[in-house]
Amino acid sequence: MIKHDVVVIGGGLAGMRAAVEAAERGADVAIVSKMHPVRSHSGAAQGGINAALGNREDDTPQNHAFDTVKGSDYLGDQDCIEAMCEDAPHQIIWLEHRGCIFSRMPDGRIAQRPFGGAGSPRTCYSADVTGLVILHTLWEQLERFNVKVYEEYFCTALCVEDGVGSGVVAYNMRNGELELINAKATIFATGGAGRMYAKTTNGYASTADGLGIAFRAGIPIMDMEFVQFHPTSLKENGVLLSEAARGEGAYLLNADGERFMFKYAPNKGELASRDVVSRAEWTEILEGRGVEGCVLLDLRHLGREKILERLPQIRELALDATGKDAVNEPIPILPGMHYTMGGIETDINGSTRVPGVYAAGECATPSVHGANRLGGNSLLETIVYGSRSAKHAMEYIKSVGEVRPSERTLKAEKERLNRWLSKTGGERAPKYRASMNKTMSEYCFIFRNEAQLQTAVDELLAIRKAFDENVYVMDKSKTFNTDLVNTMETDFLIDAAMCVANGALARKESRGAQARTDYPERDDENWLVHTLAWRRDGQNPRLDYSRKVTITKWQPEVRTY
Amino acid sequence: MIKLDIFRFDEAADEVPHRDVVEVDVPETTTVLDALEEAKATVDGSISFRRSCRSAICGSCSMNINGVTGLACKTPCNTVMDESGTIHIDPMPNFQPMRDLVVHMDPFWDKYTRLKPYLQPADKDEDHERERRVSPEDMKKLVDVANCIMCATCYALCPVVSVDPAFAGPAAIAYAYRFIEDVRDGERSERLAQINEDYLWLCAHCYACSYCPKHVDPHWRIVDVKRATINDRVMMNERGPRHALTVNKTVKQTGMLAETELIIGTIGRFNIRGLLKTVPLGLRMAAKGKMPPPFIKPIPKVDEIRTIFESLEVPVG
Repeated sequence: MIKHDVVVIGGGLAGMRAAVEAAERGADVAIVSKMHPVRSHSGAAQGGINAALGNREDDTPQNHAFDTVKGSDYLGDQDCIEAMCEDAPHQIIWLEHRGCIFSRMPDGRIAQRPFGGAGSPRTCYSADVTGLVILHTLWEQLERFNVKVYEEYFCTALCVEDGVGSGVVAYNMRNGELELINAKATIFATGGAGRMYAKTTNGYASTADGLGIAFRAGIPIMDMEFVQFHPTSLKENGVLLSEAARGEGAYLLNADGERFMFKYAPNKGELASRDVVSRAEWTEILEGRGVEGCVLLDLRHLGREKILERLPQIRELALDATGKDAVNEPIPILPGMHYTMGGIETDINGSTRVPGVYAAGECATPSVHGANRLGGNSLLETIVYGSRSAKHAMEYIKSVGEVRPSERTLKAEKERLNRWLSKTGGERAPKYRASMNKTMSEYCFIFRNEAQLQTAVDELLAIRKAFDENVYVMDKSKTFNTDLVNTMETDFLIDAAMCVANGALARKESRGAQARTDYPERDDENWLVHTLAWRRDGQNPRLDYSRKVTITKWQPEVRTY
Repeated sequence: MIKLDIFRFDEAADEVPHRDVVEVDVPETTTVLDALEEAKATVDGSISFRRSCRSAICGSCSMNINGVTGLACKTPCNTVMDESGTIHIDPMPNFQPMRDLVVHMDPFWDKYTRLKPYLQPADKDEDHERERRVSPEDMKKLVDVANCIMCATCYALCPVVSVDPAFAGPAAIAYAYRFIEDVRDGERSERLAQINEDYLWLCAHCYACSYCPKHVDPHWRIVDVKRATINDRVMMNERGPRHALTVNKTVKQTGMLAETELIIGTIGRFNIRGLLKTVPLGLRMAAKGKMPPPFIKPIPKVDEIRTIFESLEVPVG
């Protein structure tokens, strides 16, 4: 049995930030990750990270907080948002002091660029590889503190004994053994769930792992119906082209060559919040003003030099996928699944309802993004809540003696995997994955209605049941069995998708990323509440609306850009 | 139809590897990675490979494609398949195979750990309430290297690594450069000493690592680090820089490589014990009539050679 005080599941930005915080405070901390930390999808984040440094224009954390509250369509918990925005400048300086390679202004201070939904330029960046440079900085700190990383260990289950978290069970991909990892505090930082959908900006590894694990351990999943569709993803493969393109001045054009965004957001145009821009694009496409099912992202007027200096990665990604050079021609783009605002329910400290279990980053929801996340706030959330959850975990473990290793969880997990491995026939996970992807993309997309969502709920429940009965793993090897890992991932994804569809069907209003054509208005009277989904075996989740939105300063107002 | 001819091996079960040919029905513009995904999803679930982002930023899917290492997610099938539509796929060379296209990466990561790959500032963080000021130009140097995604393509392509696994390899040297050139770092000399110890000077400048999917081009960073050891004069008692400088000196002076001078210059004129060690070699060479002359007369028109040197020489410091 492996034993540590604190174990962090996931080696992306949130996970590494949590581990470094714990290590700096002298904890015995380890990371369990299904891949080497530098492979994490945080590295694919391009545009930047928000903080009211005020380097370009006067700015304050309060301005940042208001923009975030408005961006969230008033569903974000304002105490959590204020905590994040207040801490943001400190965290940026913390990263800079540890060597993070931010782009600079001529006077040597950190450069900032405009981003959607923001009142002033507050997005710190490094060209268009911001996620990558922060990822490397944090990995360097792991090296500095010699933090133990269980690399290519796939976490399969959370252990809860005597009502408290006592670690996890993890599958060692190199030798096929399941191992018990005993820990006083467990922090989930497993990232997104993009692979619920067929077309997503997320990589193959964004599979709702921590979310599914927490859900099964009786922790509620919050606000999953709010799925962000990023306005600029490539039609060919769903790959992201950063909001930084529009931040630097790129236009969105329809088939008539019109900058259509001003019809939808008279003040902000292309820099309205993402839900607004994605709906506008989809409306243009549905009303026949698209170009082969897309609209166009036009960077040409920025000029070659600026594109190569500030947006080199997206130029190359577009060139590789479409053969089109953004320097010379507009790039066809469309909205693509990008981010789950929802996730494992936590409080302002990253704690879940099970003592000793924390969550941070995209897999978690203290609710700083509410119904719609602003660009540049996701990296910030990983850093702020990664460190915050670790701080509180450190306090928590002081009062905890030994926690009981959960042999019964280990036994149950062995049985679960052996059931799949011992079967020689049935259906393989990719089939269920494809069905789920189709359902989500057709019936749970940008615009939603009762009939479509009911179809999604019904189909997903059928997929859930069929998967539970028939799934089997073809590869029987104990060495790097990715067929088995993919099957576990699909299992978790189906749970996540069910939370999305059920939450969306039940929420009879339009707010942020949830756009119901049958309920087009926001309904603050009835729906200024969070959706909590609780798992029931083989059934749709039970929904509960007991958690109200926390309002500190800003009463809901009409939201226009 | 695209035919994937794949290296198959399971270190726990197989004595020797074998190959499988798997046919997949995907457009020819599909990337090799997505073709492999399709093969795994629809034909054979046991085909194993690493992948994550599928957009050339995570560095997971480096593999050997038709004999050249590269990122499978950045390689469209139609650029690598032969007339029969076949693509040969193997694990990265210079690594121990684990399962199919998955290799043991630990020796590669160890090269980074040896660098102490984290900022060690000369001054205390607390002295700076805000960010340390760094000019855009100083940062730009680092940003170019920061594009490295540690995919190990350059390490797999490096012929020096294949003969001497102790060599740091191109990726780690480029990462060392990232700290050596960081004006915030206070350990420049120690870092140069460390990378020198990790056989910086074994690099043969073959340019193989210039084939970099992220345009980091580690070869030129190796050149930069070698230059830094000379310019900083921190490693002047080491053979690497002395060898380079002596080659430079004799060619510039005579238009030829003065081999006797090169041995003395590399080992050190006053390093009597080191020089004595070369005596047996010298005797064997003399016995075969291969002893180079002690002095070389400059070739005719040596001025032209010197002009080339002068136009290329970067002012030191």
